[in-house]
Amino acid sequence: MTDHIVASVDELEEGGRIITQLNGREICVFNIDGEYYAYNNWCAHQAGPVCEGNITGTTEASFDPESLEVSLEYCHEGEILNCPWHGWEYEVKSGKCLSRQKVQLPSYPVRIEEEEIIVTL
Amino acid sequence: MSQQAQRKESIQDTTIVDTDVHLSVPAKEVAKYTDEPYRSHMANTGYAPLPSSGWDRNLAGKIEHYTVQSPEDVQQRLCEEFQIDYPILNATSKLPRLPQSDLAVNLMSAYNDLLIDQYLDEYNHFYGLASLATQKPDKAAEELDRLGDEDQIVGAYIATTGPNPPLGDPEYDILYQAAQDNDIHIAYHGSGGAFMFEFPRQNQSFEKFIEVHTMAHTWSQMMTLSSLLVHGVPEKFPDLNFTFLEAGIGWIPMMMFRLNKEYSIRRSEAPLLKKSPEEYIREFYFASQPIGEANDPTHMKQLIDMVGVDALTFASDYPHWDFDHPDALEQYLSTFDEEGRQKVMYKNASDAFALEL
Ligand code: FES
Repeated sequence: MTDHIVASVDELEEGGRIITQLNGREICVFNIDGEYYAYNNWCAHQAGPVCEGNITGTTEASFDPESLEVSLEYCHEGEILNCPWHGWEYEVKSGKCLSRQKVQLPSYPVRIEEEEIIVTL
Repeated sequence: MSQQAQRKESIQDTTIVDTDVHLSVPAKEVAKYTDEPYRSHMANTGYAPLPSSGWDRNLAGKIEHYTVQSPEDVQQRLCEEFQIDYPILNATSKLPRLPQSDLAVNLMSAYNDLLIDQYLDEYNHFYGLASLATQKPDKAAEELDRLGDEDQIVGAYIATTGPNPPLGDPEYDILYQAAQDNDIHIAYHGSGGAFMFEFPRQNQSFEKFIEVHTMAHTWSQMMTLSSLLVHGVPEKFPDLNFTFLEAGIGWIPMMMFRLNKEYSIRRSEAPLLKKSPEEYIREFYFASQPIGEANDPTHMKQLIDMVGVDALTFASDYPHWDFDHPDALEQYLSTFDEEGRQKVMYKNASDAFALEL
């Protein structure tokens, strides 16, 4: 396990991301609401550059058996990472894939020390 | 080189022919190759001159919208990034849907001239499919005769969602004859864009593109394949190869076995056939994309085995939002020997289109 300094905190504002090469891998660090998350830039589907995708919300639905109504909600705005190749959706805070229960982006611990963003690989 | 380009060595070391690569040609660009009055029409219209169903394919920004608008795009983004050695390009898929058949005929030669001039002349390892307007089969035949000497035009691209009657009808025999005479093989391609206008009326009540897109290509190709066999097209034109693009492969065993059953009962309705439907289908070629995503990968391997390594070709469908990277197919080929792998990645496509690799 090695620590890598990726950037200083003022280089990564909220909602932003930095993609960098560490040990021959492309690693992306996101800043979502002041929390930092690091993933491989490698989609579980066909290995597309998942971390380069748009961050949006998503649509959820619920069914009310009483009224037989379906209600739609656009939610998690700013929390869904969409792979740019085919649109697989991931929760950017957990790396979990929304359509495949067992799929998860490999993640790495990130911490801040003396205003520097450090990823452990 | 991006991380995505530094893939498995097996991909880098394999020759790959990609049978389905789409160009995005702006109306103004194709206008340069048309005659008046179509030139002014194409150059000035703000209205998309080719019909489209208008679905939001990019899911409101969830999927990146890629286009290929220059030979360098093909070279860098597909050939280099995906390690494709020989892309087979097509320039438009919508001609058979155009109600204005005179415009369709004029655009047919315009797209083909553009493909040759702007793409095939630029790179020797690019091949192309001539787009055909099926509304006037005699004009399509003339176009094939015109293109007969173009070495890099290896096939004819026929959109299967749209032509009416279905493509086995004897009205198209003149087109198939010209294709056979010019050694230009046939590639059929369905589309989600025209599907809503065609087929049973219930289609028009689908509310989500996921429904349309699951059905459209496969359904168009099933209709085409039935029509070809029942009219005996492979018997009439024995030197033509037929390739089916962009319907995946799950439908193929179903069509083989179901047609076998129907044919045993109703042979008298398809009297030109000399052998079982399955035997003809085993002489056709089928492109892999969109490769299915079975929950159990062994099921995909069984499916590939049923379709057969002699029939399967690789296609990416780049740059469309449902394209496949070569890895997506390659991972299922491990159970086949090296010869089988090579057939799928390039030899079958080379045979199907008589490529000189
Ligand atoms: S590679 Fe990410 S969605 Fe396909």
